[in-house]
Amino acid sequence: MRAPSPTLAFVPSAALGAVLLGEALVLGGRDLAAALFLGGGTYVAAIAVAGGQIDASAPLVAMLLLLCGELSAWSLDERLEIRAESQLARRRGAAVAVLALAGLAVAALVVALSAVPPNHGLAWTLLGAAAAVGAAGTGMWVARR
Amino acid sequence: MTGYTSWRLPAYAVFAAAGLVAGLALGRVEPVALAAPFLLVLVAGLAAHEPEVSVGVSYDRDRAIEGDDVTATLELSSVRGVERLEVLVPLPPQLNSEGGVTRAVRLRPGEQRTVELKLRCERWGVFTVGQVLFRARDILGLRSWEGAAGAAHPLRVFPREETLRTLVAPLETQVFAGNQVSRARGEGIEFADLREWQPGDRLRRVNWRATALRRTLWVNEQNPERNTDVVLFLDTFAEVRAEGRSTNDRTVRAAATLARLYLQRKDRVGVVGFGGLLSWLVPASGTRQLYAIVEALLTSEVVHSFALRGVNVLPPRTLPPKALVLAITPLLDNRTAAALLDLRARGYDLIVVEVSPLDIVTPDPGSPLELAHRLWSLSREALRWRYEQVGVPVVTWREDMPLAVPLEEVNAFRHLARPA
Repeated sequence: MRAPSPTLAFVPSAALGAVLLGEALVLGGRDLAAALFLGGGTYVAAIAVAGGQIDASAPLVAMLLLLCGELSAWSLDERLEIRAESQLARRRGAAVAVLALAGLAVAALVVALSAVPPNHGLAWTLLGAAAAVGAAGTGMWVARR
Repeated sequence: MTGYTSWRLPAYAVFAAAGLVAGLALGRVEPVALAAPFLLVLVAGLAAHEPEVSVGVSYDRDRAIEGDDVTATLELSSVRGVERLEVLVPLPPQLNSEGGVTRAVRLRPGEQRTVELKLRCERWGVFTVGQVLFRARDILGLRSWEGAAGAAHPLRVFPREETLRTLVAPLETQVFAGNQVSRARGEGIEFADLREWQPGDRLRRVNWRATALRRTLWVNEQNPERNTDVVLFLDTFAEVRAEGRSTNDRTVRAAATLARLYLQRKDRVGVVGFGGLLSWLVPASGTRQLYAIVEALLTSEVVHSFALRGVNVLPPRTLPPKALVLAITPLLDNRTAAALLDLRARGYDLIVVEVSPLDIVTPDPGSPLELAHRLWSLSREALRWRYEQVGVPVVTWREDMPLAVPLEEVNAFRHLARPA
């Protein structure tokens, strides 16, 4: 008989995070932040308990958490009865998509760079610096659009 | 402009910081990977700059009639551009805008935009419009800047007029020339009677046919055309208001209609606002008086008061002798009822137009309130009976009928039972 997986112990907190997210969406509260914290914290705790190798799905989880926050905030914003031009929604959607993809790329880069052994050479250091500048530049470009 | 930050920025900052700390503490890269996209959003939020927005508003007119549309034109521009500019035109509840009072647009750098809002004037009154609230936001809504623009702009909405073909003729006329045929005898157009010639009668007044028949001189008598004094007595002690309908609104509409038509007939018209706030306009004639009356009606509001008031508090000139007093009242307050009976006792030609509140507060069939409603109706009927006993016509103006109907009832009442 196999012992139950230790990550199962984190299912209740993940479920609580989902409930908080639903409550925030229905009632329009600020429990959205708590939901994100619970989701992220549960994931980190689960991988810490599980131990072992680097979880390759971490960038995807990060992107989904970001999308969760941004789309929920957008949903709450749209509840205000404002007659808006249609291009505003299209542009915000595009900005969120770009931001999510950029976030995925940055998170993937972080995970990939962590696999590189330290003191591996100037090329890797330059690549890391370029990635950091690129990430910051993407953020600024999105903000100024 | 006042800048605001979305709750997401501090939340994301804490989330990212927690991820970095957890990464260091656990010696794992996954928490850092979780924090990375949120750090990206932080950079995006902090990079957003305050826009330079110019907002102006103008209205196509400052006077309107109930039901009219007034166009508010918003001029929006920004030197550096705004990703999302939200504008809100605060309106009093009596004004309405099709499609709401808020708009959101995007302004490119240097672009000028014009946004038009159609404001529907639902109810009469004097309103202050003109201020516009705006909010500029970045593309993700992480930061916003709010401000206000525009100067106060008075908008006068005049009451809608009822259609009336005939007016109630007063029993007594005044001494000045007008359009009302007097009951007195004198120089005029309308033939009144024949009488024997007396020294001083002019030759042109001799009725030759009657003279030939009777073989003595007989002359025609005429009714002269005179003006009348009309006092519109508005009861502003209490009103019934529900779902945008109000007895006071209809009272003011009726008063505006009657004032205009009586003034058109060269009569002198005055107004008494009898309520918590006492107001009056001494009877006068002419266009200036019409404007004065309408302006006074626009500010006519029901003010609750517990002060005991009688007609003796009114200046004597507001109620000239032989004036026709047209009381427009929902008959809700005993003080008005007593004051009107007092006026009748003083010999004024009084007509009570009851603006029925019964249509506005109709109880659900079968509810316990139905009995109370019936009792209320009976007490109102008893009050009407009291007026009729002293020769005062009381006509009920229901919501679904034109004002002409109760006034025709008054004429019929006067035809059948002419008061002394």
